[in-house]
Amino acid sequence: MIEAMISARIGEFHLKAEIKGEGVTCLAGKNGAGKTTLIRAIAGLLPIDEGFVRVGGTDITDRSVEDRGVILVTPSTCFPHLRVDPHIVWGARLKGFKPPREYVLKVKSDLGIGYDGTVGNLSRGMRQRVALATALVSSPRAILVDEAFLGLDDREAFISVYGKLAKEAGIDVVFSSQDEADGNLADHLYLMTSGVAAQRR
Amino acid sequence: MNWLRLISVASVLLLLVPILVLLYYGLGPFRDPVGYSAEVFDSIGLTLFASALAVIVDLVLFTPLAYYLARGKDRVTESLVDIPVSVPHPIIGVALLILDSPVTPTGKFLLSLDINFYNTILGLVTALVIMSAPIYVKSMEPYFESKDSSPEEFAMGMGASKLRTLYSVVLPNSRDGLTSASLISMSRALSEFGSISIIAFYVLQYPFYGVSPASVTIYEFFSGNMAGGLNAAVTASAAMILVAIPITLAGHLVRRKARK
Repeated sequence: MIEAMISARIGEFHLKAEIKGEGVTCLAGKNGAGKTTLIRAIAGLLPIDEGFVRVGGTDITDRSVEDRGVILVTPSTCFPHLRVDPHIVWGARLKGFKPPREYVLKVKSDLGIGYDGTVGNLSRGMRQRVALATALVSSPRAILVDEAFLGLDDREAFISVYGKLAKEAGIDVVFSSQDEADGNLADHLYLMTSGVAAQRR
Repeated sequence: MNWLRLISVASVLLLLVPILVLLYYGLGPFRDPVGYSAEVFDSIGLTLFASALAVIVDLVLFTPLAYYLARGKDRVTESLVDIPVSVPHPIIGVALLILDSPVTPTGKFLLSLDINFYNTILGLVTALVIMSAPIYVKSMEPYFESKDSSPEEFAMGMGASKLRTLYSVVLPNSRDGLTSASLISMSRALSEFGSISIIAFYVLQYPFYGVSPASVTIYEFFSGNMAGGLNAAVTASAAMILVAIPITLAGHLVRRKARK
């Protein structure tokens, strides 16, 4: 369960959003609605004026980015110098555990990652898949996906599979989208307008 | 007519005229074999060796500082970095001399550890580090600032500390920036005179026993303390410029490539 009640003022923009969701949550809204701002605030990358962020009942509001257990994935998120397999287990290795080989292969297969070259040489879409797989295998409390599902050729199927893998691992996922219809792929839908999040489902 | 281009080219030529004239006379009418003797090449060798060591120290010690300044908002530390290059350079030489003097407590302590700056390679390299590190930091900082921070935020979200993120994520993808900043700061170290003419006028250590840094040797020719006079000074200067220019140009070419 991810819960966030956030009030933050960034220049003229005022974010005042409250979301609560277990499983997969979609933040839909047009450009400038505040989706990225909210996601970055949950990730601890933007200071907030008031509010809290809780994941799995743990208050992480005042924790540093590296101590929150929340991973932000964006379209340009990847480590170009690594090969695919070391990339996928990077976060897990950092925490000192070695994910089972079968699990890594399953994640790669389910997410359509059929290559093992250097990540920097892969296509943009494949790099996004590798980054999303890396986030999943590192077993965080939550994964925040800021537009990193965009540009994937099998986007809808991918989001469904990704949500299923995350639920199996007990990880909450929040993703942003400009298309309200993407809410059908999520357990919860929030529509963002001018920094305010309204629950639709 | 592109006036901006014309003015820009003219202003660059204005900067380069003295060097071009020096090269002409050093390699032509004023050419003196003393200016390219073994003694001069030894001093150029010492300067290259000490500058390269200084750059290695810059890389190891000052890359984290450049990253910290690029990603943080510590304006106080940022302004402190500029101090060594904003004071007259001989002051740094005098400061190192006092720091390591047998009459000061710091000097007594350092000398008790066999750390001696005066006329040693260590002193020469220390002075060059102090004079080149600010250039290195000022070169790396905008490079780090220009890099997309998403991979770093991704790594930190997985639990990596800022230092771990720097070494595991940022640096492996910063080879062009590191190369460029190293070459630019090395060219700065090669050109140093003020501080090293005080702390390491000559070096009394193997394999450079009795050898002065190139800039000091040129000054010694010019001042008449070494046989050769002005002609030898001009010739040695031309030789030093021919060594230094490729390093400076390579630094800027790599930087341009990194920006693309």
